[in-house]
Amino acid sequence: MNLNMNSAESIVAQIQALSTTPRDISQLHTFLKQSDDLIRSESTRLASSLTQLDPSIHSLGFLYILDACTSGPAAKEQASEHVLTIARFVNACSTEQIRLAPEKFVSICKRLKDEVMMLAAPIRGIAPMLTAIRKLQSSTEHLTTLHPDFLLLCLSAKCYKKGLSILEDDIYEVDQPRDLLLYGYYGGMICIGQKRFRKALELLHNVVTAPLSNMSAITIEAYKKYILVSLIHLGQFNATVPKYASTVAQRNLKNFTQPYLELAVSYGTGKVTELETCIRQHREKFQNDNNFGLVRQVVSSIYKRNIQRLTQTYLTLSLEGIANSVQLNSPKEAEMHVLQMIQDGEIYATINQKDGMVRFLEDPEQYKSCAMIERIDSSIERMMTLSKKLTAADELMSCDPAYLSRVGKERAPRLDFDDYDPVPQKFTM
Amino acid sequence: MASSSSSNLTFKLHPLVMLNISDHYTRVKSQSAGPPHSAALASAPPPLRVFGCVIGVQRGRTVEIFNSFELLFDDSTHSLDRAFLIKKQELYKKVFPNFYVLGWYSTGSDAEESDMIIHKSLMDINESPVFVLLNPSVNHAQKDLPITIFESELHIIDAVPQLIFVRSSYSIETVEAERISVDHVAHLKPSDGGSAATQCNPPLLIIVECLIAASFVRDKTPMYSAIKMLNSRIRVLHHYLLAMEKGDMPCENSLLRQVSSLLRRLPTVESAKFQDDFLMDYNDTLFVSYLAMLTNCSSTMNDLVDKFNTAYDRNSRRGGRTAFI
Repeated sequence: MNLNMNSAESIVAQIQALSTTPRDISQLHTFLKQSDDLIRSESTRLASSLTQLDPSIHSLGFLYILDACTSGPAAKEQASEHVLTIARFVNACSTEQIRLAPEKFVSICKRLKDEVMMLAAPIRGIAPMLTAIRKLQSSTEHLTTLHPDFLLLCLSAKCYKKGLSILEDDIYEVDQPRDLLLYGYYGGMICIGQKRFRKALELLHNVVTAPLSNMSAITIEAYKKYILVSLIHLGQFNATVPKYASTVAQRNLKNFTQPYLELAVSYGTGKVTELETCIRQHREKFQNDNNFGLVRQVVSSIYKRNIQRLTQTYLTLSLEGIANSVQLNSPKEAEMHVLQMIQDGEIYATINQKDGMVRFLEDPEQYKSCAMIERIDSSIERMMTLSKKLTAADELMSCDPAYLSRVGKERAPRLDFDDYDPVPQKFTM
Repeated sequence: MASSSSSNLTFKLHPLVMLNISDHYTRVKSQSAGPPHSAALASAPPPLRVFGCVIGVQRGRTVEIFNSFELLFDDSTHSLDRAFLIKKQELYKKVFPNFYVLGWYSTGSDAEESDMIIHKSLMDINESPVFVLLNPSVNHAQKDLPITIFESELHIIDAVPQLIFVRSSYSIETVEAERISVDHVAHLKPSDGGSAATQCNPPLLIIVECLIAASFVRDKTPMYSAIKMLNSRIRVLHHYLLAMEKGDMPCENSLLRQVSSLLRRLPTVESAKFQDDFLMDYNDTLFVSYLAMLTNCSSTMNDLVDKFNTAYDRNSRRGGRTAFI
């Protein structure tokens, strides 16, 4: 017993002693790694000594102890205080120290997520999770394992705006491919919730075309939503899976998403009645996938699509004419639809209420304003950063040994060895 | 011979004429000179003169010279080939019914006495022809165009009425299409060895450089340097005015008057129509650079993907030997 007490205290003492300079911290890190099992077995005793440690200075030690404490199965009563401790720690910890042990940090954050879900109060986990992501990321372009968990919390709590702030960053580095799939899927759902269909389409497209070795359920679900969002936003759907998607996806996606493809086909006819029969047929499947809300949005979007098609044929049209060709019930409804579309900026028209005529106009954008200049300027800047990244990736690729060996293999048999240096196959020191 | 003209005719010269003349000269010179790097041409060859006719429109007091064509000079009779001229004139009349023979052109450094004979011979077609002279010698110090327009005037010299040449001022006039072609010519890079071509084309090069300096060619780099120069000069003026205000420099009223007249011209640049056009142009240029960036990016991406496929593509080609030169 005494021995155990001593070892627990000695650990705490060590943590307190060695948490100042970076050299000490790396020493502490090795020490903690070695005493990991000890910490786990002592977790209950160490939990009480957590109060002696300051999370901002002794972050690394605190992290290890916290991880040990929270790794066991948690009871509901403890969940709440766990959440508080973890949240406080995350807000106070120092970034450099936790980056030394990222897996532990990730595991306590996942723990946080599980506990708030268990408490049915996901909103409590959002702010700490956001700080955790920002501290774990090496740059805003880095996708960590915490991103999908954070997005899941936002979805459960219906706090879509917070999720959007994370989604605005462009991603260039990914820790694990599975993170990317989940991130794209949840991100797509958040964007759909915020009615930002273009961004949702982009994220879901990334999930569908991500490189895969085996079929993944995430990809299938993402493909279903992708079909629906592309119908809502673009008014059409290209049934061929893009060529740059993985071969696994190309072969198998169609088999799993049959009802959605039929929906897309009936949408393409432009007739509302056909669409509705198709929906009635597959109603259960849509509801099981929790996609019925999206399906209803698809139905309302078909009216918009038809009205937009009218702008290409007519210059002026009466409201009755619109109601007839779009299969709406009355001119009043047609007026509502057209008014809504004008407000959303989807068409340009004027409604003359006296004689019930609608006149379709051209896009009044003259591209002459200063606001347009700023838009183009920012796009050019983004393009320039992208170009720099691509050049860097290109150079990296040129130095890649796999690439060089392939290139060398093709060249070497045909040319004289005297004239050209053969490409080194292996670089041994 | 060189006094300025007293008639109040305004001459407008199109760049096409200048390019035609210089082209004519260069062609004839390169055909007669033989290979440019033969060492036998140590001495300067006798000055070569080419001749031709200029045509255009005369509206009231404005003479606009649009085009030109070549003529053969008959050394024996010291006159231009009349039959050919008439034939050419008829042909041009069919295509451009408005154009008249306005005069003639030649090359050289100054107008000669013998030119007056040719000038007089043209007087039956046009009672007051113009003489366009191109100076083909390369003079980089000179910033103006090496082209002079002469008219003929009747002056009393030594109690004898004589026709002499007098210089006239002219301005450059251009149409949009001409601007494009001149711009294109300005950017011609000789495909063979650079020096040979530039030796044959000195008049062409000078004219083009001067046209650029005249800054109506829509090339961005000279415009940029011109704007930089303008900016630095305004700064100098500003500095000078500040110093004058502080009392460091003596007040010079004539300069102040010039500056104030310059400033009074500025409001013409502030109107709404100017803003509109300016912003539209600005946006167009931005779009072009955006497009260029997009193309650049897609090209880099293409290279990257090719390399990636070569390195990691599992389905390698059968046989492994492809044309790889």
